Order: sequence, then C-alpha cells, then structure tokens
Amino acid sequence: MMRYLKLVNFEINRFSKIYLSLLLITLVSQFAGVIIVTNSLLNDARKIMSEEKLSEAAYITNYGGIDFTHIANTLLFQGPIALSAVALIFYIFLIWYRDWFGKNTFIYRLLMLPTSRLSIYLSKATAIFLMVLGLIAWQIIILPMENALFDSRVPEAFLNMEMSSAGIIKFNPVLNLIIPTTFTQFLLSYGIGLMVMAILFTAIMFERSFRIKGIILGLVYCGIAAALFLTPVFAMASDVFYFYPGELVGTLIALGIIVTGISIWLGSWLLKNRVTV
Amino acid sequence: MIEVKKISKNYGRKKILDGVSFTANKGEVTCLIGINGVGKTTTLKAIMGLTPYKGEILIDDQKMTKDSYEKITFIPDAPTMLPQMTVKQAMVFMEDFYTSWNTERANQLMGFFKLKEETPISELSKGNTAKLNLMLGLSLDVDYVLMDEPFSGIDMFSREQIADVFASHLIEDRGVIITTHEIGDIEHLIDKVILLDNGTVLKEFNTEEMREEEGKSVVDVMREVYQS
Amino acid sequence: MNVNTREPVYLQVVRHFKEQIAIGKFVAGQEIPSRRELAASLNINPNTAQKAYKEMEEQGLIHTERNFPSQITTNETVLQAVRQELILAAVDSFVDAIRPINVPVDELLRVVKEKYSEEIREGEEE
Repeated sequence: MMRYLKLVNFEINRFSKIYLSLLLITLVSQFAGVIIVTNSLLNDARKIMSEEKLSEAAYITNYGGIDFTHIANTLLFQGPIALSAVALIFYIFLIWYRDWFGKNTFIYRLLMLPTSRLSIYLSKATAIFLMVLGLIAWQIIILPMENALFDSRVPEAFLNMEMSSAGIIKFNPVLNLIIPTTFTQFLLSYGIGLMVMAILFTAIMFERSFRIKGIILGLVYCGIAAALFLTPVFAMASDVFYFYPGELVGTLIALGIIVTGISIWLGSWLLKNRVTV
Repeated sequence: MIEVKKISKNYGRKKILDGVSFTANKGEVTCLIGINGVGKTTTLKAIMGLTPYKGEILIDDQKMTKDSYEKITFIPDAPTMLPQMTVKQAMVFMEDFYTSWNTERANQLMGFFKLKEETPISELSKGNTAKLNLMLGLSLDVDYVLMDEPFSGIDMFSREQIADVFASHLIEDRGVIITTHEIGDIEHLIDKVILLDNGTVLKEFNTEEMREEEGKSVVDVMREVYQS
Repeated sequence: MNVNTREPVYLQVVRHFKEQIAIGKFVAGQEIPSRRELAASLNINPNTAQKAYKEMEEQGLIHTERNFPSQITTNETVLQAVRQELILAAVDSFVDAIRPINVPVDELLRVVKEKYSEEIREGEEE
C-alpha cells in the first residue's frame, strides 16, 4: 500500500511541470478572457451607442446587456479546458510509452520494483484521475474569482444579471459536462471517464504484449467493451427492450463497473504475465 | 541457486531461445557468452520476469514473485532512471522502494566509481551510466545480481574499474550472472561459462576445472565450439 | 601477478605465495591478507582466493586457527621445501628449453655462471 501511494506521488511528480503549466495557462487565459472580452463588448456597445446616438437604456432595450455566459463561450475561456482535456487524454498513452521509449528505459526499474504489477497499473490510473479532479477543482476555485472580476468591470447598467457560479455552470454545456451538478451525473461523467481510461490502458497492454498483433487485439477489445457497455442503449434504440430512465442509469452503472473491473484485471494480468520489456 | 529449465521463446517466427537449461550458483560468477544473437539478454529478462517464456525458472527452488525483486536484481546496459533525476535522486528512489537498499554500500560504491551525487543522469557518459547502474544494483542486499553486457561500448578505464568489482567484496557470496560477447577482460574472474548459440546451450563448464583438466582457457574453448 | 588463462588461477596464486615465501617477502608465522584483500590486490575472484587458501592449507603452507587471520607456517621443513620446489621448477623449464640445442654441460655451466653473475651485478647496481 505504501509503495502504491509512493508510486502515485512519483507519477504525479513526473507530470508536474506540464500539469502546473496547464493550471497556469487556464488561469491566465481565462482571466485575460474576462478582461479582453469584457472590454471589447463594452467598446462595441459604446461605438454603437455613439453611431446610433442611443442612450444606455435604449441600447440595452435594443441590443440587450451582457453577462458571464458571453465570456464562458469564448475561445480564451474554453480553449484551456480543451487543451487540458487533450493533454490528459494524450497522457493516458504517454504515461506508459514514455517508460519504454527514449534513451532511458525506466520500465526496467518500474517492473523490477518489489510491488505487485497491479499497484503499478493502478498508480498510473490513479495519477491521471487525480490530475483530472485537480483541474476540475482548479476551475471551481477560479470561476467565482473570474465572475467577481467580470461583475466589477461591467457598469451596472450593462449587466444583465449577476450570475452565481452554479448558474454559469448550468448554462454552459462544457462546464456542465466537466462539473456535474447531481450525484448521478457525477457517477456517469467520471465513471465513464474511468472506464474509458481502463479500456485504453488495457488496449495499451495488449499492444505492449503482442506488438502489431496487439494493436488489433486492443482495438477489438475496445470494440467489445464499448458494445457491452452500450447494450442497453442499443436495445432501446432497436425497440427490443424498454428501460425506465432510472433503470437505464442503473444498468449503465452496473455494466460500467463490470467493464472497468474486467479491464483492470485483464490489463494488470497482461502487465504481470505477458508484457515484454 | 538459479535453475533455468528448458526455456524457449519466439519473437514472431524467430526462435530466440530453444530449450535453454543451466544453473547458476550463489557465490559464483556465471558468464553467458554468445557471439551472435539476442538470446543472452532475453535469458536474463526471462529470469527477471520481464518477458514471457515457456519452461520453468526457479530461484532458490521458488518461482519469481514480487518479493523476489528484493533478492535478485538486474543491471541492464541502458539507463534505467529518468534523465531529469540526479544521481542522488536515483538513490533516494531506490531507498524509497527497496527494503534491501544498503546506504553504506551505496556510499562505498559512489566513492569506488567516483560518481557525484549532484550530476544529472542525462549528463552521464556511457561509462558512467554503466557505473551508475552497477552502483544502484549492487547497493541492494540481494543474493543474485544479473548484469547485461557490463563492458560493452565503454572506455578502457571504466572497463577496468568495473572488472575490479568482480575481484572485490561487492560481489562476495552473491550469485552473479553476466552476459558478454567478449570475454577478454574478465576471463580469469569468472567461475562458470555457458556458451549459447542460436538459442541453445552449446557447452557449460567450470573455468578452473577446464584449466586444470584440459589446460584450456575460455577463449580456447570458445574457438573450438564456435568454429566447429 | 600476471594471470595465465590456461592454468588454474588458484594454482597460480599458490605459486605466487611460494615465490613470496622463497624471496622472504613472507616470513614464518606472518599474517597473510584475508581472502577479500587478496582477491582485490591480485585482481582475482574471491572464490578463487578462497580455493587458493584451501589448497595452501592442505599443502601445509599456511594454517588458520579459529577466528584468527591465517598465518604462514612456522614449519621450517615446509618452508625449505618451497624453496627447493621453486628452484627445481625453474631449472626444469630451463633444461626443457636448452635440451634441444645440445650444449655440452661444461660450456652450459660456464655460460650460466657468467650470465647469472652479470644479472646479479646489474641488479645490485640498479
């Protein structure tokens, strides 16, 4: 157990430079977004007011005011979220392949540690999961600050409404996806995330065990896992079977746990018995 | 004792190991020699559980488990620590994960090889990388040490220093298996030789017995075996 | 010690010791290095050092009392025999080398005497 925790710590440290950069990019880009987008919206408004000789009240009646949803839909705000997501998805692969390739073959050291291969497998999965949660937490922390900055920079007359963080999240599809508002949604979003990671890890283990043949096996495994998980959805779509919404979620959660469990078992088994350094 | 019993392995259609059997005793230096082919390294990886194989390998009558890594270690001929680590950080990593890490021996070896703690691993020469690997491996209180080509591609002075390890207490009482394709520097330092070719054992002998009974050096035997 | 790879290394170590005894570098009763020290100083495997000590023990050249370092024997007969053995071995190989040339014994002895005195003189001058 201690070695597992040390490994998690070690894996996080290895990614820490890039990870801290992602946090910083998110912070800078989103705050810059608040300032730049707000200024540009206000400038546009003033320009229109002077061109069309409108009073503030008349402008707002005709064109509407602004609120944080205008910010949250911009590239400066959503770009770093997308960047972080892509970086972590990429890291699901890199966390394994970086140990095999390059001049320093760290995989020798890793697989010769006096700890179970399952610990090694889980430590990498845990590291990525914690880093995802960390990024979300970061967003939850900085969002109210960005919101406050926005409120302070917009003259009251132009402000449609002071939104709460919960409101911002609710009205933005991207934020709504990464920051679940209900427990069921949390289970679905993050459960599916974990499952996908486990399936990808297992596909990587297939490739590391059987090389070119392994790529095919890995893809086949991804297909089977996806098909198994989505069985109830297919069943409903083809009118074979009907689930009540509660039943559907329950079935998906149960299948998700099964698929994740099989993936972890198979992946760590391959790592223990079939992988070649 | 390490017992390798009829192990076989294929890469695709190519047979790398084809029924290889031998034993390596504790307290002895056993040398796996092969002029061509990759069977030597694969054998060491198989012993360490780093590649699947057919057949059986026993270490002191037991199969390899995770706890065996406190008893047996492998020193590959490539860097095994992260390039961004310093020598010191690599030592801390080992100490963190292995209960068999021996700090006193590590410090001795640091002095012996003249390595510096603050050097980043990415800046080590090939010779010093080999020394770092040896330092990390030999600082574990393990019964068996496997070394892959410890002399290949490094300068003469580093080779001499590494050969000195074999004449020192650093390997005393341990079982050592080393692979090499050139025996020159260490021929008088090894106890047992396994000649491999095309994935099979051509000959297995004790060096002192060979000298005593037939008056032949290891190189003489190699010449006979590989040229026939 | 230069190692000959065609002769058992442990026997070469034994001979090395005998030479040291013959020239007086090791004297009766002197403590000898541990097998670890010997291996390091001669650049041989500690097992070989161990085997050499065992052989010397059997030949009565050294003896070990429990928990004490090994010592050169104090048995004068054994020590004299070592000297004799080395002289004989050297003369044997010399005779083997000179035999095919068929030199008359008197001439050979004269040349040996001259050469040998010269060598010793040069050795003293250096």
